[in-house]
Amino acid sequence: MTLLALDTSTEWASVALYDGHDVLAEETWHAQRRHADELFPTIERLLARTRVTLASIDKVAVATGPGSFTGLRIAIAAAQGIARGAGAALVGVSTLDVLAYPHAASKQRTCPLLPAGRGEFYAAFYQERNRRWERRSPFIAATLPELCRQIGAHTLFVGEIGAETEQTLRDILGPKALFASPASRMRRAGYLAELGWNALETSPQRRLGDIEPIYVKQPSIRTSFDQPFAPPPTDDLALGLPKRH
Amino acid sequence: MRILAIETSCDETGVAVIDDGRRIVSNVVASQLVHQDTGGIVPEVAAREHLHALDGITQQALNDAGVELRAVDAVAATVGPGLVGCLLVGANYGRGLALAAGLPFIGVNHLEGHVYANWLYEGDTPTPEPEIPAVVLIVSGAHSDLVLMEGHRRFRPLGRTIDDAAGEAFDQVARLLGLGFPGGPAVERAAKDGDGAAFPLPRAALSGYDFSFSGLKTAVLRLVRSLEAKGEVPIADVAASFQKAITEVLAEKTARAAAEHSVETVLLGGGVAANLALRAEIQKRIGHPLRVPSPRLCTDNGAMIGAAAFFVLRDRGTEVPVNVRSDMKLA
Ligand SMILES: [Zn+2]
Repeated sequence: MTLLALDTSTEWASVALYDGHDVLAEETWHAQRRHADELFPTIERLLARTRVTLASIDKVAVATGPGSFTGLRIAIAAAQGIARGAGAALVGVSTLDVLAYPHAASKQRTCPLLPAGRGEFYAAFYQERNRRWERRSPFIAATLPELCRQIGAHTLFVGEIGAETEQTLRDILGPKALFASPASRMRRAGYLAELGWNALETSPQRRLGDIEPIYVKQPSIRTSFDQPFAPPPTDDLALGLPKRH
Repeated sequence: MRILAIETSCDETGVAVIDDGRRIVSNVVASQLVHQDTGGIVPEVAAREHLHALDGITQQALNDAGVELRAVDAVAATVGPGLVGCLLVGANYGRGLALAAGLPFIGVNHLEGHVYANWLYEGDTPTPEPEIPAVVLIVSGAHSDLVLMEGHRRFRPLGRTIDDAAGEAFDQVARLLGLGFPGGPAVERAAKDGDGAAFPLPRAALSGYDFSFSGLKTAVLRLVRSLEAKGEVPIADVAASFQKAITEVLAEKTARAAAEHSVETVLLGGGVAANLALRAEIQKRIGHPLRVPSPRLCTDNGAMIGAAAFFVLRDRGTEVPVNVRSDMKLA
């Protein structure tokens, strides 16, 4: 019994294998816009390295965002296909839940951030209350000043936080802004695997087609009257990925 | 060889089960209706719809065929050309399915799919295979390609559109005349009661085999505006005149290509190939039977991808593609 965890929510991608007790293997990398080409070779490499056969995969967990629309769909489509082909159970876990989860023990109010393009970030707030670690807000897409207006207490930021973003948060929030160390604020599929495994233990299996991205934002209504076939993605926006600076 | 084939390059979600590249065991196509509201395809909306529908449609295709995934020999999916976000849904789902079921995965060029739609048949009696060499005209909302098929999977491009695809011109004229989306069938319906000689419209006289439809589009726009100024627009006559102009250009070049290369077989593919006026214009000029897939197989579908995938495996000279390339060409 093994769980395969897939996450291509942003420019960072991660894949893990988990047996309910140990993470057997994990690979996290900066895929930029190559997720589609690199996801399957990575899965096959982890299977070969751990000598786990596909026949023994009976659970699949996938990160459902919010994040890059196209990125999310790559892992979700792959996960649906693998689950269907292997007869495995499939579970979706929010990418922000995965980011916040390793910081539960800190008991800090935690805010994972992921770039949402056009100066916005996907975010949510997590906190322990009555000994339960839970998401305490809806999923948000907002600029940093908009987000900070909702912050009154010390908050631990995790996720994809560049130097510029960190400085902006420090400027607005002063000492209330806390930052997890670079390695501990990264998103890792091992945590997705844990959350997915636990969710499958407690909640019933959903239809594969019902596992869908958490989009938060509406599709841009930029129609394609004069150009029904978009050129190959030469810029990040074409992939729905946020611009990098 | 039995192939489960997936098509998600544009706005149709299609899955089919195909035997030996020719026999349709099942073929399920779900057209996305959401685009009718915008009068054009919004790529992000199309990609969302594909992901929402694909697993269910795959189940339906297997059910219709009465086979389990275990009874399939390979999984194929379109990997280009097309809308990248849409292609990624079908390709990653198909690749996952293949990996988990221990089957080979075959990435298929969508344009090869339109060509090999001509090899498909339904029922138990095979139709004769098309003779090669052949001249192939692929006309749709995204493509207007004229190619010489020299052998299986060996194509020499003769001409293509230098601006709009033929199907786009149909869509734009339909929008102009308030006929709805998609424009191909809408214009054809309106043109039935019209006079194709009512209004003279330009036929872009490009040398060689390239096409240009933007001039025709502009001429129709001017015509409609001037008719509007005078009173009511005779929609049927405008639709018929436009249809005559565009199908004559396509037919003329196709027939000329067949004559120049001394090729007997002319094959059609793509949504615009379902247009009966186009078929008639070409038929008139080539003097022997024209081979056209049924309208259902002209528009995007999984069956044609299953047909093309079979020939990828059979005539494998190169590596089987697996990665999505939205700008893939026919060569
Ligand atoms: Zn097509």
